[in-house]
Amino acid sequence: MFLSAAVRSAVSQTVRSLHRSAARAGAGGIFVHRDTPDNNSDTPFDFTEENKKRIEAIISMYPVGHKQAATIPVLDLAQRQHGWLPISAMNKVAEVLEIAPMRVYEVATFYTMFLRQPVGKYFIQICTTTPCMLCNSDSILEAIQNKLGIKVGETTPDKMFTLIEVECLGACVNAPMVQINDNYYEDLSPKDIEDIIDELKAGRIPPPGPRNGRFSCEPAGGLTSLTEPPKGPGFGVRPDL
Amino acid sequence: MLRLPTVGRALAGAAKSSLAPSNTVRTSVRAASNMVEVFVDGKPLEVEPGTTVLQACEKAGIQIPRFCYHERLSVAGNCRMCLVEIERAPKPVAACAMPVMKGWNILTNSEKTRKAREGVMEFLLANHPLDCPICDQGGECDLQDQSMQFGSDRSRFTEGKRAVEDKNIGPLIKTIMTRCIQCTRCVRFASEIAGVEDLGTTGRGNNLQIGTYVEKMFMSELSGNVIDVCPVGALTSKPYAFTARPWETRKTESIDVLDAVGSNIMVSTRGGEVMRVMPRLNEDINEEWISDKTRFAYDGLKRQRLAQPMVKDDSGQLTPTTWEDALTRVAGALQSVQGSEVAAIAGGMADAETLVSLKDLLNRLNSENLCTEELFPMAGAGTDLRSNYLLNSRIAGIEDCDLLLLVGTNPRYEAPLFNARIRKSWLHNELRVAMVGHSVDLSFSYDHLGEETSVLKELANGTHPFCQVLSAAKRPVVVVGSSALQREDGAAIMRAVSTIAQNARTSSGVEERWKVLNVLHRVASQVAALDLGYKAGVDAIRAAPPKVLFLLGADAGCITRADLPEDSLIIYQGHHGDVGAPMADIILPGAAYTEKNATYVNTEGRSQQTRTAVTAPGMAREDWKIIRAVSELAGVTLPYDSVEGVRCRLAEVSPNLVRYDDVEEANYFKQANELAQAVNQDLLAAPLVPPQLTAKDFYMTDSISRASQTMAKCVKAVTEGAAAVDEPSVC
Amino acid sequence: MAEYANLVRRALGQIGGHGGVRGFLTQFFRVNDVKTGALVGVDKYGNKYYEDSKHYFFGRHRWVIYTTEMNGKNTMWEVDGSMVPAEWHRWLHCMTDDPPTTHPPEPKKFLAEVHQFNVSGSSQQYVPYSTTHKKIHEWVPPKAGAQ
Repeated sequence: MFLSAAVRSAVSQTVRSLHRSAARAGAGGIFVHRDTPDNNSDTPFDFTEENKKRIEAIISMYPVGHKQAATIPVLDLAQRQHGWLPISAMNKVAEVLEIAPMRVYEVATFYTMFLRQPVGKYFIQICTTTPCMLCNSDSILEAIQNKLGIKVGETTPDKMFTLIEVECLGACVNAPMVQINDNYYEDLSPKDIEDIIDELKAGRIPPPGPRNGRFSCEPAGGLTSLTEPPKGPGFGVRPDL
Repeated sequence: MLRLPTVGRALAGAAKSSLAPSNTVRTSVRAASNMVEVFVDGKPLEVEPGTTVLQACEKAGIQIPRFCYHERLSVAGNCRMCLVEIERAPKPVAACAMPVMKGWNILTNSEKTRKAREGVMEFLLANHPLDCPICDQGGECDLQDQSMQFGSDRSRFTEGKRAVEDKNIGPLIKTIMTRCIQCTRCVRFASEIAGVEDLGTTGRGNNLQIGTYVEKMFMSELSGNVIDVCPVGALTSKPYAFTARPWETRKTESIDVLDAVGSNIMVSTRGGEVMRVMPRLNEDINEEWISDKTRFAYDGLKRQRLAQPMVKDDSGQLTPTTWEDALTRVAGALQSVQGSEVAAIAGGMADAETLVSLKDLLNRLNSENLCTEELFPMAGAGTDLRSNYLLNSRIAGIEDCDLLLLVGTNPRYEAPLFNARIRKSWLHNELRVAMVGHSVDLSFSYDHLGEETSVLKELANGTHPFCQVLSAAKRPVVVVGSSALQREDGAAIMRAVSTIAQNARTSSGVEERWKVLNVLHRVASQVAALDLGYKAGVDAIRAAPPKVLFLLGADAGCITRADLPEDSLIIYQGHHGDVGAPMADIILPGAAYTEKNATYVNTEGRSQQTRTAVTAPGMAREDWKIIRAVSELAGVTLPYDSVEGVRCRLAEVSPNLVRYDDVEEANYFKQANELAQAVNQDLLAAPLVPPQLTAKDFYMTDSISRASQTMAKCVKAVTEGAAAVDEPSVC
Repeated sequence: MAEYANLVRRALGQIGGHGGVRGFLTQFFRVNDVKTGALVGVDKYGNKYYEDSKHYFFGRHRWVIYTTEMNGKNTMWEVDGSMVPAEWHRWLHCMTDDPPTTHPPEPKKFLAEVHQFNVSGSSQQYVPYSTTHKKIHEWVPPKAGAQ
């Protein structure tokens, strides 16, 4: 009895629930809308003049009568303008594209990068999928949590940082990594991430990219091939040509 | 398949024929036809190019299991239940979404196919709750049936099941979203058939759910059909919840009379009680949909019923009495006055049998004062020419037309199934719709030409810009709402519409059989009454008030006590205590449409029969029998004793009334128009506003739906929001 | 010979035991049976309880001669099994061999002070009411002059 309980608790700690990650990643959890003081159909939202021009440009890329195709870019525009997507922003997008609001909700709830709940100014997404985990992403996560005093899925009281855990962001070569808003910070050590957060707190955006000095996703131990200078044109071509 | 030469196929065929000699007979004479030859389980079959695998199998008489596929909705291909093996294809294909190609051999019962189905079924059942014993869909559930037929007998799923929050989408549809298998039939129904894009899928993957995302009522006059469309018990009927099981109900095929469309319905009854109403397939009328009023107003049949004869006593109080007493009084009253002092008004739900027997009775008493509650302009051709008051193009005919002009009508609420047909044609056949009348939401876009009658005048004399479109139309149809013709200037509107139709007909050069002019009625009895020679409208009765007035289910309140002399006697025969009964002196309880074998003629002129599903409550009797009994006591016995006898009489008066499910052609538009030109009446300036403008006007329009609590809840939900009628759910 | 003598003696005993020919006939017509035995007791209503396990087999060895008037009802000819009160019922039906005369019942508050007849078939009988909904709700005409 005791043994089985111990095993179960051990399992529940070590086995990650597959069924929770998507909800967590969506920064919203549930897939229905509930009116809250800062997210209801009366939440003020309107596109800025400059974004209205952008919308026109976006719509003009699609054939006449297929405005619906612009749903994702216009939603993205709305999110960039407002920081996240309140229900009023989705309704506005539907109005702009002349489609039913439901069609916009469908898209916005499908993609986890559309944030339907308020987030801080800096939205930190930390990858903890296998390659990052093997490169000790847990230490990065812990460093962020200690630094900011928040847990996964929470926002700092000053509405500056939101931390969530996400699945693979496609930068496994540079593991461990975090994405803060649109920037990837790669090859991190706990100290690196603390520096980054300090910089952000100071109002500066640290340069994105690997922190261990390598260029982009080159091999960590230096190049292993193509190390000599390029041979120039005509190399290896048949002489009779 | 392009790379597979015919030789290869011939070889494949040869190989097969050696295995199965019965298949050797192959027709090779299809040189000219572009039909595609496919094989279903080795049997050859010729199908049109573009046919899907599923349709080809259907043609071969083999049904492929499916959940998301529905003949009347677009193909989604997301349930994967219809996977079948195609010979020499590497993977099973989704039959509903895959067009057949030449020479394919579809294996509908191979090992691979069966394994694929079993696998899909196991996945579907992984997240489906095991609550069949308390599920209202139990017994008529596609998932239940197909899991019995194609599924495995055990599950390997030991993890926790997904649970989804239930939605409140109004007082008609109960949602148990955990049962949903995400076939998206309801989503497609809402956006394609109903034209209300309220439903959708939110989330993704395991978290995908069907809903409205925001708290919202699924506001459509056809919303009940999602219950039928749903293959599982996720969407069920709220009023029907936990009341009956499909195997314990008796099903009676009948006709709906709550609007003039005459939708074919199936009445489920148990123990002499109507448990629910479901649609019945009729491609010419309602396809397989019915309106919410048709489906959910049945609880009105159990309330406010007249169950025993009543007479007014000395104090003026209606008190129950015996049939003998009531009939004797009626007969005495009829005998004591001159024939010309007797009049009758037929209401919106009177059947043809009763109408003819009432007419015979009054005619025998030397009275000709028979009229309907619904007005129709009698000037010009009036009701003499049948083509003048029918929906001549027929409901299905809308699919053939290319331009539709609606005049003073809101078909969405006056005839929801007709509107669904227009939407279908608008969606698939590029039908152009124009409208003269108050601007309403028809669930599709249309050219709004204005609501003034001057627009009609301009259209008639060809000065309106839209006339060019009208004259360019190949197959135009003009539909005028019966409410528009009930205005003071009804005859003038009829004249204008008739001229527009006649002009459009001439300019289109369409064949002689094509009908342009149509009238859309709102009540079920009107066409039969006009066919039988009833006068439309109660003006004659107002002009010459009768001493004895017979109301046959007249509940529209056209005539009140104040219109009649003090000493006049009102007899009300009908099934509900609504508007007519309280002012009556004698009440004869009749049967509602689910309680009698009766003939109704819909707005197309198609006669159809209702069937007795339950017996009339208490002492109520079939209506024509009551009139027959009155006639005997009044000394003018009608010469029929059985419903067959009445129908023989119907056939004498108007043979089309007993040619069931058939539409009698009526085609005297030219003459009608010439007669209409003789009408000397001017169009009034008042705008054309149909009486039913929004959803809240739709639900309660007649004595049955006014008695229905479900319909009252709908009105409340529409006006105050779905949360106002939210009831604590039992499950 | 002795058998016949015995028979005669019993016949005479029957007549004597019921108080003569008149009593014998009364008993015969009241309950269609005549028996004699030892009087075990009389309840407060006047019903007499007898026992004779020597001449009658088990099941018929205890019987009751009903009183002629009980609870104000003339029971001369209208006898009824439910006239037997509860404490005697159990002795009469052989649930116990101890008659209430020697073993009076323990007083319980649910025991009736005055024994009631079975009221089935009478106007006081219990009639279950329907717990289901009415299938049809009739229209109730408005009161005259109300409008």
